[in-house]
Amino acid sequence: MSLQPYRDKRTALADAVSLVPDGAMVALGGGLSARLPMALVRELVRQRRRGLHLVGSAHSIDVDMLVAVGAVRRCEESYVGFEQDLGLAPAYRRAAEAGAIEVAESCCATILAQLRASEMGLPFLPVRGVRGSGIAALHPEYAEITCPFTGETLVAVPALRPDVALLHAPSGDRYGNLHLDQPYVLDERFASASGMVIATVDEISSPEEVAAAGVTIPGHLVATVTEVPFGAHPSSCYPRYAYDHAHLREYVSAAQAGPDDLDKYLATYVHGTEEGYREAVGAAQLGALSTWSQSTAAWKEIFA
Amino acid sequence: MSFTLDEWFVVLLARTIRPTETVFHGFGSPCAQVAMHVARRTHAPEMVLVEGAMYAINPDPPFIPPTSNDASLKRGAGYSMRFEEFFDAAVRGDVDRMFLSGGQIDGSGNTNVTAIGPPGRPKVKLGGGGGGCNLAATIGHLTVWTTRHRSGRTLVNACDFITDMGHRTPLGTRAELGYTGGGPQWLITELGVFDFPAGHARLVQVFPDTGVEEIRAATGFPLEVAGDLRAVTPPSAAELAVVRSLDSLGVRKSEFSPRELSRVFSHGSGQDCAC
Repeated sequence: MSLQPYRDKRTALADAVSLVPDGAMVALGGGLSARLPMALVRELVRQRRRGLHLVGSAHSIDVDMLVAVGAVRRCEESYVGFEQDLGLAPAYRRAAEAGAIEVAESCCATILAQLRASEMGLPFLPVRGVRGSGIAALHPEYAEITCPFTGETLVAVPALRPDVALLHAPSGDRYGNLHLDQPYVLDERFASASGMVIATVDEISSPEEVAAAGVTIPGHLVATVTEVPFGAHPSSCYPRYAYDHAHLREYVSAAQAGPDDLDKYLATYVHGTEEGYREAVGAAQLGALSTWSQSTAAWKEIFA
Repeated sequence: MSFTLDEWFVVLLARTIRPTETVFHGFGSPCAQVAMHVARRTHAPEMVLVEGAMYAINPDPPFIPPTSNDASLKRGAGYSMRFEEFFDAAVRGDVDRMFLSGGQIDGSGNTNVTAIGPPGRPKVKLGGGGGGCNLAATIGHLTVWTTRHRSGRTLVNACDFITDMGHRTPLGTRAELGYTGGGPQWLITELGVFDFPAGHARLVQVFPDTGVEEIRAATGFPLEVAGDLRAVTPPSAAELAVVRSLDSLGVRKSEFSPRELSRVFSHGSGQDCAC
Protein backbone atom coordinates (compact mmCIF):
# COMPACT_ATOMS: atom_id res chain seq x y z
CA MET A 1 0.00 0.00 0.00
CA SER A 2 1.28 3.46 -0.85
CA LEU A 3 1.88 6.18 1.68
CA GLN A 4 -0.72 8.91 2.02
CA PRO A 5 -0.17 11.80 -0.40
CA TYR A 6 0.50 15.29 0.93
CA ARG A 7 -2.84 16.97 0.36
CA ASP A 8 -5.38 18.75 2.49
CA LYS A 9 -6.85 15.97 4.65
CA ARG A 10 -9.23 18.02 6.77
CA THR A 11 -12.41 15.99 7.08
CA ALA A 12 -15.65 16.37 9.01
CA LEU A 13 -15.77 14.12 12.08
CA ALA A 14 -18.75 12.08 10.86
CA ASP A 15 -17.15 11.53 7.45
CA ALA A 16 -13.86 10.46 9.00
CA VAL A 17 -15.52 7.95 11.31
CA SER A 18 -17.67 6.60 8.46
CA LEU A 19 -14.41 5.13 7.11
CA VAL A 20 -14.45 2.66 10.02
CA PRO A 21 -16.57 -0.31 8.93
CA ASP A 22 -18.52 -2.62 11.22
CA GLY A 23 -16.28 -5.48 12.30
CA ALA A 24 -13.06 -3.51 11.83
CA MET A 25 -9.94 -4.09 13.90
CA VAL A 26 -9.47 -0.70 15.54
CA ALA A 27 -6.32 0.46 17.32
CA LEU A 28 -6.92 3.08 20.02
CA GLY A 29 -4.18 5.63 20.59
CA GLY A 30 -3.08 7.14 23.88
CA GLY A 31 -3.40 5.17 27.10
CA LEU A 32 -4.98 5.09 30.55
CA SER A 33 -6.01 8.68 31.25
CA ALA A 34 -3.95 10.37 28.53
CA ARG A 35 -4.75 11.36 24.95
CA LEU A 36 -7.50 8.85 24.32
CA PRO A 37 -9.26 9.49 20.99
CA MET A 38 -12.55 10.24 22.72
CA ALA A 39 -14.18 12.43 20.06
CA LEU A 40 -13.69 9.58 17.59
CA VAL A 41 -15.00 7.08 20.14
CA ARG A 42 -18.10 9.21 20.76
CA GLU A 43 -18.69 9.45 17.02
CA LEU A 44 -18.43 5.64 16.71
CA VAL A 45 -21.15 5.49 19.38
CA ARG A 46 -23.31 7.99 17.43
CA GLN A 47 -22.92 5.99 14.25
CA ARG A 48 -23.82 2.78 16.10
CA ARG A 49 -20.80 0.88 14.90
CA ARG A 50 -20.88 -2.85 15.72
CA GLY A 51 -18.59 -5.86 15.95
CA LEU A 52 -15.34 -3.98 16.52
CA HIS A 53 -12.12 -5.73 17.48
CA LEU A 54 -10.28 -3.24 19.72
CA VAL A 55 -6.53 -3.39 20.22
CA GLY A 56 -4.35 -1.25 22.46
CA SER A 57 -2.12 -1.24 25.51
CA ALA A 58 -3.64 0.05 28.77
CA HIS A 59 -6.99 1.80 28.28
CA SER A 60 -9.99 3.03 30.21
CA ILE A 61 -13.13 5.00 29.30
CA ASP A 62 -12.59 4.63 25.53
CA VAL A 63 -12.86 0.83 25.60
CA ASP A 64 -15.43 0.81 28.39
CA MET A 65 -17.81 3.16 26.58
CA LEU A 66 -17.61 1.23 23.29
CA VAL A 67 -18.27 -2.01 25.17
CA ALA A 68 -21.13 -0.36 27.07
CA VAL A 69 -23.01 0.51 23.87
CA GLY A 70 -22.49 -2.94 22.34
CA ALA A 71 -20.02 -1.82 19.67
CA VAL A 72 -17.38 -4.39 20.54
CA ARG A 73 -16.95 -8.05 19.66
CA ARG A 74 -13.38 -8.62 20.85
CA CYS A 75 -11.03 -6.80 23.25
CA GLU A 76 -7.29 -7.21 22.87
CA GLU A 77 -5.79 -4.76 25.36
CA SER A 78 -3.24 -5.31 28.09
CA TYR A 79 -5.46 -3.57 30.63
CA VAL A 80 -8.85 -1.90 30.79
CA GLY A 81 -9.67 0.03 33.95
CA PHE A 82 -9.31 3.22 35.95
CA GLU A 83 -6.31 2.30 38.11
CA GLN A 84 -6.59 2.83 41.88
CA ASP A 85 -8.31 6.08 41.03
CA LEU A 86 -11.77 4.80 40.05
CA GLY A 87 -11.20 1.05 39.94
CA LEU A 88 -12.48 -1.59 37.56
CA ALA A 89 -14.02 -0.68 34.20
CA PRO A 90 -17.75 -1.25 34.82
CA ALA A 91 -19.08 -2.12 31.35
CA TYR A 92 -15.99 -4.05 30.29
CA ARG A 93 -16.12 -6.05 33.48
CA ARG A 94 -19.84 -6.79 33.14
CA ALA A 95 -19.52 -7.83 29.48
CA ALA A 96 -16.51 -10.05 30.21
CA GLU A 97 -18.26 -11.72 33.13
CA ALA A 98 -21.41 -12.31 31.03
CA GLY A 99 -19.40 -13.67 28.12
CA ALA A 100 -20.78 -10.88 25.91
CA ILE A 101 -17.34 -9.97 24.55
CA GLU A 102 -14.29 -12.03 23.69
CA VAL A 103 -11.47 -11.03 26.01
CA ALA A 104 -8.15 -11.72 24.32
CA GLU A 105 -6.19 -9.92 27.03
CA SER A 106 -2.67 -9.25 25.83
CA CYS A 107 0.62 -7.88 27.08
CA CYS A 108 2.37 -4.61 26.19
CA ALA A 109 5.65 -6.00 24.85
CA THR A 110 3.81 -8.70 22.91
CA ILE A 111 1.53 -6.16 21.23
CA LEU A 112 4.61 -4.07 20.47
CA ALA A 113 6.32 -7.04 18.78
CA GLN A 114 3.17 -7.79 16.78
CA LEU A 115 2.94 -4.20 15.56
CA ARG A 116 6.63 -4.15 14.67
CA ALA A 117 6.19 -7.31 12.60
CA SER A 118 3.44 -5.53 10.70
CA GLU A 119 5.63 -2.43 10.27
CA MET A 120 8.43 -4.57 8.89
CA GLY A 121 6.17 -6.56 6.60
CA LEU A 122 7.03 -9.75 8.50
CA PRO A 123 4.53 -12.49 9.36
CA PHE A 124 5.67 -12.75 13.01
CA LEU A 125 8.32 -11.85 15.56
CA PRO A 126 9.53 -13.93 18.52
CA VAL A 127 9.12 -12.77 22.14
CA ARG A 128 10.41 -13.93 25.53
CA GLY A 129 8.14 -14.61 28.45
CA VAL A 130 4.45 -15.38 27.89
CA ARG A 131 5.18 -19.14 28.30
CA GLY A 132 3.73 -20.22 31.60
CA SER A 133 1.37 -17.24 31.74
CA GLY A 134 -2.35 -17.78 31.30
CA ILE A 135 -2.20 -15.03 28.69
CA ALA A 136 -0.74 -17.59 26.24
CA ALA A 137 -3.87 -19.72 26.58
CA LEU A 138 -6.03 -16.75 25.53
CA HIS A 139 -4.10 -16.62 22.24
CA PRO A 140 -4.23 -19.89 20.31
CA GLU A 141 -2.63 -17.98 17.42
CA TYR A 142 0.72 -17.86 19.27
CA ALA A 143 3.20 -20.64 18.46
CA GLU A 144 6.36 -21.86 20.14
CA ILE A 145 9.44 -21.89 17.92
CA THR A 146 13.04 -22.99 18.37
CA CYS A 147 15.68 -20.40 17.62
CA PRO A 148 17.84 -21.79 14.77
CA PHE A 149 20.93 -20.14 16.27
CA THR A 150 20.70 -20.67 20.04
CA GLY A 151 18.20 -23.52 20.26
CA GLU A 152 16.10 -21.68 22.83
CA THR A 153 12.33 -21.88 22.78
CA LEU A 154 10.61 -18.58 22.05
CA VAL A 155 7.01 -17.58 21.40
CA ALA A 156 6.18 -16.48 17.85
CA VAL A 157 3.47 -13.85 17.79
CA PRO A 158 1.78 -12.99 14.48
CA ALA A 159 1.85 -9.56 12.89
CA LEU A 160 -1.01 -7.34 14.08
CA ARG A 161 -2.33 -5.07 11.37
CA PRO A 162 -5.27 -2.99 12.59
CA ASP A 163 -7.64 -1.84 9.85
CA VAL A 164 -7.78 1.60 11.40
CA ALA A 165 -5.85 3.51 14.07
CA LEU A 166 -7.75 6.27 15.88
CA LEU A 167 -5.34 8.88 17.24
CA HIS A 168 -5.68 12.21 19.01
CA ALA A 169 -2.96 14.85 19.12
CA PRO A 170 -2.80 18.33 20.67
CA SER A 171 -1.90 19.83 17.32
CA GLY A 172 -1.45 18.98 13.67
CA ASP A 173 -1.61 20.55 10.25
CA ARG A 174 -3.94 20.14 7.29
CA TYR A 175 -1.65 17.49 5.78
CA GLY A 176 -2.02 15.32 8.84
CA ASN A 177 1.40 15.96 10.38
CA LEU A 178 0.84 15.44 14.11
CA HIS A 179 2.73 16.81 17.09
CA LEU A 180 2.36 14.84 20.32
CA ASP A 181 3.61 15.30 23.86
CA GLN A 182 5.11 12.27 25.56
CA PRO A 183 4.09 9.63 26.37
CA TYR A 184 3.45 8.69 22.77
CA VAL A 185 2.44 5.21 24.01
CA LEU A 186 1.91 3.08 20.88
CA ASP A 187 0.68 5.86 18.59
CA GLU A 188 3.77 5.87 16.38
CA ARG A 189 3.69 2.10 16.04
CA PHE A 190 -0.04 2.09 15.31
CA ALA A 191 0.47 4.76 12.67
CA SER A 192 2.82 2.65 10.57
CA ALA A 193 1.36 -0.77 11.39
CA SER A 194 -2.28 0.04 10.62
CA GLY A 195 -4.09 0.15 7.29
CA MET A 196 -5.31 3.70 7.90
CA VAL A 197 -4.90 6.47 10.47
CA ILE A 198 -7.83 8.71 11.38
CA ALA A 199 -6.68 11.60 13.53
CA THR A 200 -8.28 14.36 15.56
CA VAL A 201 -6.38 17.35 16.91
CA ASP A 202 -7.33 19.98 19.45
CA GLU A 203 -6.16 22.61 17.01
CA ILE A 204 -5.12 22.64 13.37
CA SER A 205 -2.01 24.80 13.10
CA SER A 206 0.07 25.89 10.15
CA PRO A 207 2.57 23.36 8.75
CA GLU A 208 5.34 25.72 9.89
CA GLU A 209 4.08 25.75 13.47
CA VAL A 210 3.75 21.97 13.59
CA ALA A 211 7.22 21.52 12.09
CA ALA A 212 8.65 23.92 14.68
CA ALA A 213 6.96 22.02 17.53
CA GLY A 214 8.21 18.74 16.03
CA VAL A 215 6.35 16.21 13.90
CA THR A 216 5.80 13.01 15.87
CA ILE A 217 3.62 11.25 13.29
CA PRO A 218 4.13 12.34 9.67
CA GLY A 219 1.29 13.22 7.34
CA HIS A 220 2.19 10.45 4.93
CA LEU A 221 0.88 7.97 7.51
CA VAL A 222 -2.37 9.86 8.16
CA ALA A 223 -5.54 9.57 6.05
CA THR A 224 -7.77 12.22 7.65
CA VAL A 225 -7.42 14.97 10.22
CA THR A 226 -10.25 16.70 12.07
CA GLU A 227 -10.06 19.62 14.46
CA VAL A 228 -11.98 18.83 17.64
CA PRO A 229 -11.23 21.05 20.63
CA PHE A 230 -11.02 18.92 23.80
CA GLY A 231 -11.14 15.88 21.54
CA ALA A 232 -9.43 13.72 24.18
CA HIS A 233 -11.63 14.90 27.06
CA PRO A 234 -12.21 13.50 29.70
CA SER A 235 -8.69 12.12 29.28
CA SER A 236 -5.78 14.57 29.29
CA CYS A 237 -4.04 16.12 26.33
CA TYR A 238 -1.01 17.92 27.68
CA PRO A 239 0.11 20.65 27.35
CA ARG A 240 -3.48 21.75 26.75
CA TYR A 241 -5.53 20.12 29.49
CA ALA A 242 -5.28 17.68 32.39
CA TYR A 243 -7.73 14.82 32.76
CA ASP A 244 -11.18 15.51 34.13
CA HIS A 245 -11.42 13.46 37.28
CA ALA A 246 -14.94 14.62 38.10
CA HIS A 247 -16.25 13.74 34.66
CA LEU A 248 -14.59 10.33 34.69
CA ARG A 249 -16.20 9.67 38.06
CA GLU A 250 -19.56 10.67 36.62
CA TYR A 251 -19.12 8.23 33.74
CA VAL A 252 -17.92 5.38 35.98
CA SER A 253 -20.82 5.93 38.40
CA ALA A 254 -23.32 5.86 35.54
CA ALA A 255 -21.79 2.77 33.97
CA GLN A 256 -21.71 1.03 37.36
CA ALA A 257 -25.33 1.86 38.12
CA GLY A 258 -26.61 0.17 34.97
CA PRO A 259 -28.26 0.76 31.59
CA ASP A 260 -30.66 3.53 32.68
CA ASP A 261 -27.98 5.72 34.18
CA LEU A 262 -25.63 5.00 31.32
CA ASP A 263 -28.35 5.96 28.80
CA LYS A 264 -28.79 9.18 30.71
CA TYR A 265 -25.06 9.86 30.48
CA LEU A 266 -25.04 9.09 26.76
CA ALA A 267 -28.08 11.28 26.15
CA THR A 268 -26.53 14.18 28.04
CA TYR A 269 -23.07 14.00 26.58
CA VAL A 270 -22.71 11.73 23.58
CA HIS A 271 -25.85 11.47 21.42
CA GLY A 272 -25.51 14.91 19.93
CA THR A 273 -22.46 16.61 18.55
CA GLU A 274 -19.02 17.46 19.88
CA GLU A 275 -20.15 21.08 20.26
CA GLY A 276 -23.01 19.79 22.38
CA TYR A 277 -20.59 17.66 24.36
CA ARG A 278 -18.44 20.66 25.24
CA GLU A 279 -21.51 22.67 26.18
CA ALA A 280 -22.80 19.88 28.41
CA VAL A 281 -19.45 19.56 30.18
CA GLY A 282 -19.35 23.34 30.48
CA ALA A 283 -16.81 25.97 29.59
CA ALA A 284 -15.92 26.57 33.24
CA GLN A 285 -15.02 22.93 33.85
CA LEU A 286 -13.05 22.65 30.61
CA GLY A 287 -11.27 25.90 31.36
CA ALA A 288 -10.27 24.70 34.82
CA LEU A 289 -8.45 21.73 33.27
CA SER A 290 -6.16 24.12 31.45
CA THR A 291 -5.05 25.91 34.63
CA TRP A 292 -2.58 23.18 35.55
CA SER A 293 0.41 25.17 34.32
CA GLN A 294 -0.26 28.22 36.55
CA SER A 295 1.07 26.70 39.75
CA THR A 296 1.58 23.44 41.58
CA ALA A 297 -1.36 24.37 43.78
CA ALA A 298 -3.59 24.85 40.73
CA TRP A 299 -2.40 21.57 39.29
CA LYS A 300 -3.09 19.68 42.51
CA GLU A 301 -6.51 21.26 42.74
CA ILE A 302 -7.50 19.41 39.56
CA PHE A 303 -6.93 16.12 41.35
CA ALA A 304 -8.30 17.05 44.76
CA MET B 1 7.23 10.49 66.23
CA SER B 2 4.20 8.52 65.10
CA PHE B 3 3.50 7.13 61.67
CA THR B 4 0.83 5.14 59.93
CA LEU B 5 0.84 1.72 58.32
CA ASP B 6 0.53 3.12 54.79
CA GLU B 7 3.63 5.26 55.35
CA TRP B 8 5.59 2.38 56.79
CA PHE B 9 4.48 0.05 54.01
CA VAL B 10 5.75 2.41 51.32
CA VAL B 11 9.10 2.65 53.12
CA LEU B 12 9.40 -1.16 53.16
CA LEU B 13 8.85 -1.25 49.40
CA ALA B 14 11.49 1.45 48.98
CA ARG B 15 14.04 -0.55 50.95
CA THR B 16 13.88 -3.44 48.47
CA ILE B 17 15.62 -1.16 45.95
CA ARG B 18 19.41 -1.46 45.82
CA PRO B 19 21.46 1.71 45.40
CA THR B 20 22.25 1.65 41.67
CA GLU B 21 19.34 -0.34 40.28
CA THR B 22 17.16 0.56 37.31
CA VAL B 23 13.63 0.27 38.68
CA PHE B 24 10.14 0.38 37.18
CA HIS B 25 6.59 0.29 38.51
CA GLY B 26 3.44 -0.45 36.55
CA PHE B 27 0.37 1.75 36.37
CA GLY B 28 -2.19 1.78 39.15
CA SER B 29 0.55 1.22 41.74
CA PRO B 30 0.71 4.31 43.95
CA CYS B 31 2.55 2.61 46.83
CA ALA B 32 5.33 1.41 44.53
CA GLN B 33 5.36 4.75 42.78
CA VAL B 34 5.91 6.69 46.01
CA ALA B 35 8.40 4.07 47.21
CA MET B 36 10.69 4.56 44.21
CA HIS B 37 10.96 8.27 44.95
CA VAL B 38 11.58 7.56 48.65
CA ALA B 39 14.48 5.29 47.67
CA ARG B 40 15.91 7.82 45.24
CA ARG B 41 15.72 10.62 47.81
CA THR B 42 17.22 8.55 50.64
CA HIS B 43 19.47 5.50 50.15
CA ALA B 44 19.56 5.22 46.35
CA PRO B 45 20.31 8.67 44.87
CA GLU B 46 22.04 7.13 41.84
CA MET B 47 19.26 4.72 40.87
CA VAL B 48 17.64 4.94 37.44
CA LEU B 49 14.00 5.56 38.26
CA VAL B 50 11.67 4.82 35.34
CA GLU B 51 8.37 6.50 36.15
CA GLY B 52 5.52 4.10 35.37
CA ALA B 53 3.36 4.90 32.40
CA MET B 54 5.33 8.07 31.60
CA TYR B 55 8.66 6.22 31.16
CA ALA B 56 10.31 9.40 32.47
CA ILE B 57 13.83 9.00 33.84
CA ASN B 58 14.46 10.38 37.34
CA PRO B 59 11.69 12.99 37.42
CA ASP B 60 10.97 15.13 40.46
CA PRO B 61 7.17 15.26 40.44
CA PRO B 62 5.62 18.08 42.51
CA PHE B 63 3.04 15.56 43.79
CA ILE B 64 1.76 12.08 42.95
CA PRO B 65 -1.48 12.27 40.94
CA PRO B 66 -4.14 9.56 41.07
CA THR B 67 -3.37 8.41 37.52
CA SER B 68 0.01 7.13 36.41
CA ASN B 69 0.38 8.91 33.11
CA ASP B 70 -0.19 12.48 34.18
CA ALA B 71 2.38 15.02 33.04
CA SER B 72 3.19 15.93 36.66
CA LEU B 73 5.10 12.64 36.76
CA LYS B 74 7.63 13.70 34.17
CA ARG B 75 8.27 17.13 35.69
CA GLY B 76 12.00 17.57 36.17
CA ALA B 77 12.97 14.57 34.05
CA GLY B 78 15.76 15.26 31.59
CA TYR B 79 14.56 12.45 29.39
CA SER B 80 11.50 10.31 28.82
CA MET B 81 11.82 6.94 27.15
CA ARG B 82 9.53 5.97 24.35
CA PHE B 83 7.24 3.06 25.17
CA GLU B 84 9.35 0.75 22.98
CA GLU B 85 12.62 1.98 24.47
CA PHE B 86 11.50 0.92 27.92
CA PHE B 87 10.13 -2.46 26.86
CA ASP B 88 13.24 -3.19 24.78
CA ALA B 89 15.46 -2.39 27.78
CA ALA B 90 13.34 -4.62 30.00
CA VAL B 91 13.20 -7.64 27.74
CA ARG B 92 16.93 -7.53 26.99
CA GLY B 93 17.65 -7.52 30.73
CA ASP B 94 18.64 -3.92 31.46
CA VAL B 95 15.93 -3.31 34.06
CA ASP B 96 16.88 -4.60 37.51
CA ARG B 97 13.63 -4.44 39.43
CA MET B 98 9.92 -4.11 38.92
CA PHE B 99 7.10 -3.81 41.42
CA LEU B 100 4.16 -6.14 40.85
CA SER B 101 0.91 -6.67 42.69
CA GLY B 102 -2.07 -8.94 42.17
CA GLY B 103 -5.64 -9.69 43.12
CA GLN B 104 -4.25 -13.16 43.85
CA ILE B 105 -0.66 -14.12 44.70
CA ASP B 106 0.49 -17.70 45.30
CA GLY B 107 3.44 -19.10 47.24
CA SER B 108 5.66 -19.18 44.13
CA GLY B 109 5.00 -15.49 43.58
CA ASN B 110 2.73 -15.97 40.57
CA THR B 111 0.23 -13.14 40.37
CA ASN B 112 -3.25 -12.83 38.94
CA VAL B 113 -4.57 -9.49 37.73
CA THR B 114 -6.74 -10.95 34.95
CA ALA B 115 -9.77 -12.70 36.43
CA ILE B 116 -11.13 -14.36 39.57
CA GLY B 117 -12.95 -17.57 38.76
CA PRO B 118 -12.83 -19.49 35.47
CA PRO B 119 -11.21 -17.34 32.75
CA GLY B 120 -13.95 -18.07 30.19
CA ARG B 121 -16.73 -16.81 32.48
CA PRO B 122 -14.97 -15.02 35.33
CA LYS B 123 -16.68 -14.17 38.59
CA VAL B 124 -14.72 -10.92 38.64
CA LYS B 125 -12.95 -9.59 35.57
CA LEU B 126 -9.94 -7.64 36.80
CA GLY B 127 -8.23 -4.96 34.73
CA GLY B 128 -5.39 -6.96 33.26
CA GLY B 129 -1.64 -7.22 33.49
CA GLY B 130 -0.29 -4.44 31.30
CA GLY B 131 3.26 -5.46 30.46
CA GLY B 132 3.67 -8.08 33.19
CA CYS B 133 3.61 -11.33 31.26
CA ASN B 134 6.67 -10.32 29.27
CA LEU B 135 8.41 -8.25 31.95
CA ALA B 136 8.08 -10.80 34.77
CA ALA B 137 10.22 -13.14 32.66
CA THR B 138 13.13 -10.84 31.95
CA ILE B 139 13.42 -8.13 34.64
CA GLY B 140 16.17 -8.87 37.19
CA HIS B 141 14.13 -8.99 40.38
CA LEU B 142 10.50 -8.53 41.29
CA THR B 143 9.19 -6.88 44.45
CA VAL B 144 5.66 -8.21 44.83
CA TRP B 145 3.25 -6.46 47.15
CA THR B 146 -0.32 -6.52 48.35
CA THR B 147 -2.25 -4.42 50.84
CA ARG B 148 -5.06 -7.02 51.07
CA HIS B 149 -3.36 -9.97 52.79
CA ARG B 150 -5.74 -9.80 55.74
CA SER B 151 -8.74 -10.47 53.49
CA GLY B 152 -7.68 -14.12 53.23
CA ARG B 153 -8.49 -14.02 49.52
CA THR B 154 -5.26 -12.56 48.18
CA LEU B 155 -2.48 -14.94 49.20
CA VAL B 156 -3.88 -18.12 47.70
CA ASN B 157 -2.68 -21.67 47.28
CA ALA B 158 -3.12 -21.44 43.51
CA CYS B 159 -4.05 -18.46 41.35
CA ASP B 160 -7.23 -18.85 39.26
CA PHE B 161 -5.22 -17.39 36.39
CA ILE B 162 -1.49 -16.72 36.20
CA THR B 163 -0.94 -13.34 34.57
CA ASP B 164 2.65 -12.76 35.68
CA MET B 165 4.97 -15.64 36.37
CA GLY B 166 6.75 -16.22 39.68
CA HIS B 167 9.32 -18.93 40.42
CA ARG B 168 7.29 -21.86 39.15
CA THR B 169 4.11 -22.28 37.17
CA PRO B 170 2.27 -25.53 36.37
CA LEU B 171 4.24 -25.50 33.10
CA GLY B 172 7.63 -25.48 34.77
CA THR B 173 10.29 -23.52 36.61
CA ARG B 174 11.76 -20.26 35.36
CA ALA B 175 14.81 -22.12 34.03
CA GLU B 176 12.61 -24.62 32.20
CA LEU B 177 10.57 -21.81 30.68
CA GLY B 178 13.67 -19.94 29.52
CA TYR B 179 13.18 -16.83 31.64
CA THR B 180 16.25 -14.64 31.98
CA GLY B 181 15.15 -12.68 35.08
CA GLY B 182 15.36 -13.81 38.69
CA GLY B 183 11.68 -13.64 39.64
CA PRO B 184 10.11 -12.54 42.92
CA GLN B 185 12.66 -11.56 45.55
CA TRP B 186 10.35 -9.98 48.13
CA LEU B 187 6.67 -10.12 48.95
CA ILE B 188 5.56 -7.23 51.14
CA THR B 189 2.10 -7.28 52.68
CA GLU B 190 0.33 -5.13 55.26
CA LEU B 191 1.00 -7.94 57.75
CA GLY B 192 4.60 -8.86 57.06
CA VAL B 193 7.58 -9.36 54.75
CA PHE B 194 8.39 -12.56 52.83
CA ASP B 195 11.51 -13.61 50.94
CA PHE B 196 11.82 -16.50 48.45
CA PRO B 197 14.89 -18.52 49.52
CA ALA B 198 13.97 -21.67 47.55
CA GLY B 199 11.44 -20.20 45.14
CA HIS B 200 8.71 -20.23 47.78
CA ALA B 201 7.51 -17.38 49.98
CA ARG B 202 8.90 -17.46 53.54
CA LEU B 203 7.81 -15.07 56.28
CA VAL B 204 10.86 -13.18 57.59
CA GLN B 205 9.44 -10.06 59.26
CA VAL B 206 6.16 -9.17 60.95
CA PHE B 207 4.59 -5.87 61.94
CA PRO B 208 4.46 -5.38 65.72
CA ASP B 209 0.65 -5.36 65.88
CA THR B 210 0.24 -8.78 64.28
CA GLY B 211 1.68 -12.27 64.71
CA VAL B 212 2.45 -15.54 62.98
CA GLU B 213 -0.89 -17.19 63.75
CA GLU B 214 -2.88 -14.25 62.44
CA ILE B 215 -0.75 -14.29 59.29
CA ARG B 216 -1.10 -18.04 58.90
CA ALA B 217 -4.87 -17.74 59.09
CA ALA B 218 -4.87 -15.14 56.32
CA THR B 219 -2.52 -17.09 54.04
CA GLY B 220 -3.85 -19.64 51.57
CA PHE B 221 -0.54 -21.39 50.95
CA PRO B 222 1.34 -23.35 53.63
CA LEU B 223 3.15 -20.71 55.70
CA GLU B 224 6.90 -21.11 55.97
CA VAL B 225 8.45 -19.03 58.74
CA ALA B 226 12.12 -18.07 59.00
CA GLY B 227 13.96 -19.38 62.06
CA ASP B 228 15.11 -15.85 62.84
CA LEU B 229 11.75 -14.15 62.35
CA ARG B 230 12.06 -10.44 63.22
CA ALA B 231 9.97 -7.36 63.66
CA VAL B 232 9.81 -5.04 60.68
CA THR B 233 12.36 -2.24 61.01
CA PRO B 234 10.66 1.13 61.60
CA PRO B 235 10.88 3.92 59.05
CA SER B 236 13.41 6.70 59.48
CA ALA B 237 12.42 10.33 59.85
CA ALA B 238 13.99 11.03 56.45
CA GLU B 239 11.98 8.29 54.75
CA LEU B 240 8.74 9.45 56.34
CA ALA B 241 9.44 13.03 55.33
CA VAL B 242 9.70 12.05 51.67
CA VAL B 243 6.49 10.01 51.79
CA ARG B 244 4.60 12.92 53.35
CA SER B 245 5.97 15.70 51.18
CA LEU B 246 5.82 13.86 47.88
CA ASP B 247 2.46 12.14 48.28
CA SER B 248 0.70 15.16 49.69
CA LEU B 249 -2.56 14.10 48.03
CA GLY B 250 -2.36 10.77 49.85
CA VAL B 251 -2.80 8.73 46.68
CA ARG B 252 -1.04 5.75 48.33
CA LYS B 253 -3.95 5.45 50.76
CA SER B 254 -6.26 4.34 47.96
CA GLU B 255 -4.60 0.92 48.17
CA PHE B 256 -5.64 0.32 51.79
CA SER B 257 -8.86 -0.52 53.60
CA PRO B 258 -9.98 1.89 56.35
CA ARG B 259 -8.90 -0.66 58.97
CA GLU B 260 -5.31 -0.65 57.71
CA LEU B 261 -5.26 3.15 57.46
CA SER B 262 -6.17 3.38 61.16
CA ARG B 263 -3.01 1.51 62.23
CA VAL B 264 -0.71 4.00 63.95
CA PHE B 265 2.75 3.26 65.32
CA SER B 266 5.38 5.28 67.07
CA HIS B 267 9.11 5.19 67.42
CA GLY B 268 10.27 4.07 70.78
CA SER B 269 7.24 1.95 71.59
CA GLY B 270 9.38 -1.11 72.18
CA GLN B 271 11.02 -0.89 68.75
CA ASP B 272 14.49 0.04 67.69
CA CYS B 273 14.59 3.49 66.26
CA ALA B 274 16.26 3.76 62.87
CA CYS B 275 16.05 7.54 62.78
